[in-house]
Order: sequence, then C-alpha cells, then structure tokens
Amino acid sequence: MTESKLLLTPPPHLKQGDAIMHAMRDVILALIPVTAVAFYFYGLNAVAIWVLCVGGAILTELVVRPLLGKKPEIGNLSSVVTGWLLALCFSATTAWWTAVLGAVLAVGVAKELMGGLGWNWFNPALFGRIVPVVFYPLFGWLGTALGSARISFAMPDVISQATPLAMLKGYGMAGAPSLTEMLTFYPAGGALAEISAGAVILGGLFLIVRKHISWRIPAAMIATVLVLSAVLGAPPVHHVLAGGLLLAAFFMATDWVTAPVTPNGRLLYGVAIGVLVVLFRLYGGSPEGVGYSVLLMNPAARWIDRMTRPKVFGQA
Amino acid sequence: MTVKSFPRGGVHPREFKESTAGSPIREIPLAPELVVPLSQHLGAPCEPAVKVGERVLAGQKIGDCQAFISAPIHSPVSGIVKAIEPRPTMTGAMMNSMVIVPDAEQESVPPVEKRDWQALDVDEIRNIVRAAGIVGLGGAAFPASVKITPPKDKPIDTVIINGCECEPFLTCDHAIMLARPDDLIEATRLVMKVVGASKGYIGIETNKADAIKLLEEKLKGEPDISVVSCEVMYPQGAEKQLIKAVVNREVPPGMLPSEVGAIVHNVGTALAMLDAVTDGRPMTSRVVTVTGAVNQPGNIEVPIGTPVEHLLKHCGGFKGDPGKVILGGPMTGWAINDLTAPVQKGTSGVVVLSREYIDTNPIVACVRCGKCVEVCPMGLMPNLLGIYGERGMYDKAEKWNAMDCFECGACAYVCPSKRIMVEWVRQTKQAVNAKRRQQREAKA
Repeated sequence: MTESKLLLTPPPHLKQGDAIMHAMRDVILALIPVTAVAFYFYGLNAVAIWVLCVGGAILTELVVRPLLGKKPEIGNLSSVVTGWLLALCFSATTAWWTAVLGAVLAVGVAKELMGGLGWNWFNPALFGRIVPVVFYPLFGWLGTALGSARISFAMPDVISQATPLAMLKGYGMAGAPSLTEMLTFYPAGGALAEISAGAVILGGLFLIVRKHISWRIPAAMIATVLVLSAVLGAPPVHHVLAGGLLLAAFFMATDWVTAPVTPNGRLLYGVAIGVLVVLFRLYGGSPEGVGYSVLLMNPAARWIDRMTRPKVFGQA
Repeated sequence: MTVKSFPRGGVHPREFKESTAGSPIREIPLAPELVVPLSQHLGAPCEPAVKVGERVLAGQKIGDCQAFISAPIHSPVSGIVKAIEPRPTMTGAMMNSMVIVPDAEQESVPPVEKRDWQALDVDEIRNIVRAAGIVGLGGAAFPASVKITPPKDKPIDTVIINGCECEPFLTCDHAIMLARPDDLIEATRLVMKVVGASKGYIGIETNKADAIKLLEEKLKGEPDISVVSCEVMYPQGAEKQLIKAVVNREVPPGMLPSEVGAIVHNVGTALAMLDAVTDGRPMTSRVVTVTGAVNQPGNIEVPIGTPVEHLLKHCGGFKGDPGKVILGGPMTGWAINDLTAPVQKGTSGVVVLSREYIDTNPIVACVRCGKCVEVCPMGLMPNLLGIYGERGMYDKAEKWNAMDCFECGACAYVCPSKRIMVEWVRQTKQAVNAKRRQQREAKA
C-alpha cells in the first residue's frame, strides 16, 4: 500500500522555520529606525535616493537573472536589502545616476555575475557604493553627461555642515559634535545611515537577539576601533559613533555570504576590519575608510574560515 | 540539581511530546501478517533458518549469521512462514524478509528456567545476549553483544544508560523508565557486571522530571549508580555527547566509547538484555511511540514485523492530512510512503507529521550564515560538507571530516537555505567507504 501523497524528503523532518526571506525581512525591520530618521531630516531627497537604490536593485535582478538563464528571486528580499543598504551609504545629495549605477553594480555585477546569492565575494551594497568612486575614470563620463542632474527637492539647510569625521580630521575635537547628538540625531549631511548612531545600534541589537548575526564581528570591530584609536590618540567613542562604522559593524561586515562562518574567524575578521578602519581614518587621504576596510577583508573570509577551522569533537 | 550537557552546538526543536508523555504502554491486536526483515541491525544480514511453509513458534530463531557484528532474528509469533522474499523496510530499501501468518494457538518455545544473572559468568551472559538477537533500540540498531564485548586492552569503568530521548515526539523510553524502574536499575548492574564497570549512570533529560525523581528515590543510598539530569538539548542522547555530558570524557574522532572507558546503552536495550538473561526472552517486540497526526497516539508494545499500516489503524488512523510518515524520530528517522513496511528492532517511533509542520521551501545555495557551524555538536563545518557532498567532491568532504558526522541533522534543521546536509554526508560516506574497501582489496 503506497500512499503517493506522502513526502519522502530526507531528514531532519523538522526544520527551524526561518528561510532566507525571513532573515532578510528582519534585516529590513532592523533598518527601519535609521531610515525613518534619515527620511525625517533629509526629506524627499532621501526618499528619492532610497527609491532609486531599492528599485534599481530589484529591476537589475529582474533583468540580469533571466539573461543568465535563471528565474528572478525577488521574494527572498535579498535585492531589496542590498538596495536598501546601498541607499543608506549615500548622502541625500547624491546624484541620481550614481544611486542607480550603484544598484546596478551591486546586484548585477557583485552578486549575479558572481553566481548569485551565496557565491558573491564582495558585499554587494559596498561594492556598488565604492566601485564608482575607485574606478572613477570608468564612470566619470556619466558624471560629465549627467552630473548636474541632481535631485532637487527642497533641501533642508542642515546639510551645509561638515560631517563629524571630517571635523575630526580637520579640526580635532574642537569642532566635533557631542556624543549625545551623535547617538540621537546629527543631520550633518553624510551618508543617510550616519544620521543616528542610536538607531543603527537598535537595529543591530535586534538582529543579534533574533540570532541572524553573531555578536562576534560587531563586538570585535567596535572594540578594536575603541582601543586602537585611543592608543593612537584619537577620540575613541567619536570614532565608533561617527561615519559608517556602526552600519558596517552590524549590517555590512556581518553580511552572511562575505564574512567568515567560524567563531574565531569572525573575531579575527572583526579585529582586522577595525584595524584597517582606524588606519584609513587616521592616516588615509579621506576622512572615512570603513567601506574600503570591509571590501578589503571580504575576499579573505573563506581563507579565514580555513585558518580558523574549529576543533573537531574529541580531537587532541 | 546540577544539569549537565555537552559543551558545544545543539538545537532546541519543539518537543511535541505532550500527546504521549506519561501514557502507559498498551498493546494492540496481532496483525494478520508479519514481515520480519532478515537484517535489522548494523552488520551482516541473517540467513533464513526455516523454510517457506514451515510452522514456527513464538521465540523460535528464524534467521542467523556467524559474523561477529550481527544478531539473530526470532519469530515474534507462532504461525506459518508464507514467504521469504524482498519487502520494503523502514529505510525504503527492499530487504529479504520472513513473511509469517500468525495462527490461533500462539504457542511459544518452551520457557527457560528463571536465571539469576549474578550467578552467571560474563561469557555466558554475552552468549545469551547474542543468542537473543538484541540490538540497540535507540535507532542505530548496533548489536548489543558486540558493545558488551569491548577490546581486552580497553578497560571499561563506566556504564551510561541513555534515557535522554532527545528526539522530538518520542516518549517510549520515558514510558519504559516509568513502567520498570527497578528492572532498569538491575539491568544497569547487569551491564556493569558484564563489562567490569564499577560505576553506572542513568542520563535523563530534565523534561522527564518524573522519571528522574522516581529513579533517584529508588537509588537513594546506592552509590554505584547515579541519575544524571541532562539539559533538554538535541542531540543530548548521542553517544559521544552523552559521555561528555555525564563523565566529561571526549571520545576521539573515529574511535569507540571504549577508548575512554565507557559504554552507552539505551534504556530499552538494557532492559531487553535483562529480560533475555533472566527470562530467556529473545528480542521479538519493542515499545514504539505512535504519535503526531493520529487519532489515538500512544506507546505501544508491538511484535517486531508488525506492518506500520496495521499499527496506524489501531491508533485511530490519520488525523487530517498527513504529510509524512516517519519511522524513528523526526530528526534522524526515515520518511516512508509504503506503509506495509514493518516495525523492526530499531523502530523507536511512527511519527505522522501533518503538512503544517513540513517545510516546503526550496533548497537554494549556501549563504554562509554559519548557523550550521554554530550548532554542529561535533565541531564540523556542515556548510562545506554540504557544498562538497552535493557536487560529488567526496575527497574534499572527507578532508573536512565528513566521516566524523553522525548525522544528527542539527545543521539542516537550522539551515535557512534548506540544504540537506545529512543526505549529502550519507552520499559522501558511501563513496568514501567504497573507496576504502577498494583500497583494502587492492592491498590484499
């Protein structure tokens, strides 16, 4: 007596509920606080950047995957998250074409051309944010052709300030905002995510509590920046709260695909990124270096896994 | 109360034990036809010892094999051997089986005189256990006589009786502990005597507080056996994990528990050994948890060879729309769709999983979330084992310790990409074992 409707899939027959889509949904929930603050302070400009990045990411997947002979998988929300994170890396005054180019590079090149979700070597959002900067000669003509085409909703005037990191770099502590300002709202015109350290931390803690990310990478990264900047005579807490460090620590460096999977590997990876961030910021040519630091360490993730292979149970 | 556990990994699946926990063991009418596979254990299969058309008695040996790692098979009933032919079994594979039609008389082989195990010498006990066809009832079905015959150069000081029952849904070991606590203590002492151990432990997860309390009371003032409360954590009942939890010893990769002076037996196996030694009872029945989407779930004492469909019928049939019928527990058991498959010695449960609990998300690429690495109790990297196994890169998988995986399924349980690591590891092991066999033969 064969009951053909009975399923024969292999064990385990019980699964923890979460699929990729559920984790991505939680990342989106975690990004809502900082996004809301950014929308509030930067208005329709920020909303426009967000729409361009998220929409661009979705459209890129819809176009590129069929070209590669695969079905689009918008439902796993991965492209939405990529586009969303990319938007948070841009400032509200970013040229519209830069946002779209970033989305195309992030999803089209960094993710799909590498084999799709799971096979990418670089964090797609950071790739989309940084590559146009690093390879400016490649993309500069776009700027010449379209450069003046900025989004021109009425801009709040808060954006004329320098970002905290630029202030630190230029004037030291003299011009730096207070920690309270940085933790709550400090609309200094940097990347959207830089507007509120508190909102980013809130989202990050949510992801840790929900067990989507391990505490190890953000903890190692933040601790390293604290200690190393203090040792080198820079204001440690400012360096943690300013710039893209927290967004990177909780949302970029913890990107599943591009980070190590072993417990010790994650600590090592966090420390390495932290060291790079401090070196870029204190000795580099520009005030910020978080994006470069994460992208530089991305390709090392799989190698770090092999170096930090866990001890097999019972192994001497 | 100190609660012990293994140090790394593990998961907390929903328990689903409510519907059968604490329910007494019951019996059901005999099936019209029993199907007794001639291999119900790890090791060499048995040859039939009777012919088609012959009448057999309950308890009569109907299959045997001379190999060290094997266990004979006995008829659970008296009746006529209708056929000896391949029949579907719990793993889905066809296996040469003895098909027996029970008769009305239900006559048993003459009972042996009650024996006092304390008066028997160790080799006699081993021979009785072997002759009674006893295998591990926890699921792996390893012949018990082999386990109680450790290598001479590996002295055993510790016997651990495994009452963890960490698989969701299953409560048969729990029921046995509640029903026969005194016998279980005696069975523990029997195993201690055979292997020469001075200390016995009974490890029980804290979700069976009544069993812990009952056995602790019975063991008050008896220093040779202790009850150990174990954390509810899957796979607490895995052999190496339980040894680590109870006596803090780690069995090295590829080694047996005797390496660290311990042996582990499931509660049902220990009791079966006691029954064989004192009453001469061969292994012809076992307690099975029938649960999930059935109308009358419970713990049933079933003759080996009872078809699953018969068992389900006497448990009230399916409740609602069954998605899967699983033989064993839901973490490591086998899904079957041919319900003529029989209960065999290693069948601890028949779990009917309703559709709402079945994850139908497609298998997609590994996204390197690392959850499998976190939960693996063996310290392996299931992500890599999956990627290599899926692509047939078995050498690489072997290098990443695929052979140390005992297939608990914690990795696949947490995987958001729904990857079937256990399946791929099984394929890897088959390939590696075949390669090793070839190499051995090439050398010989």
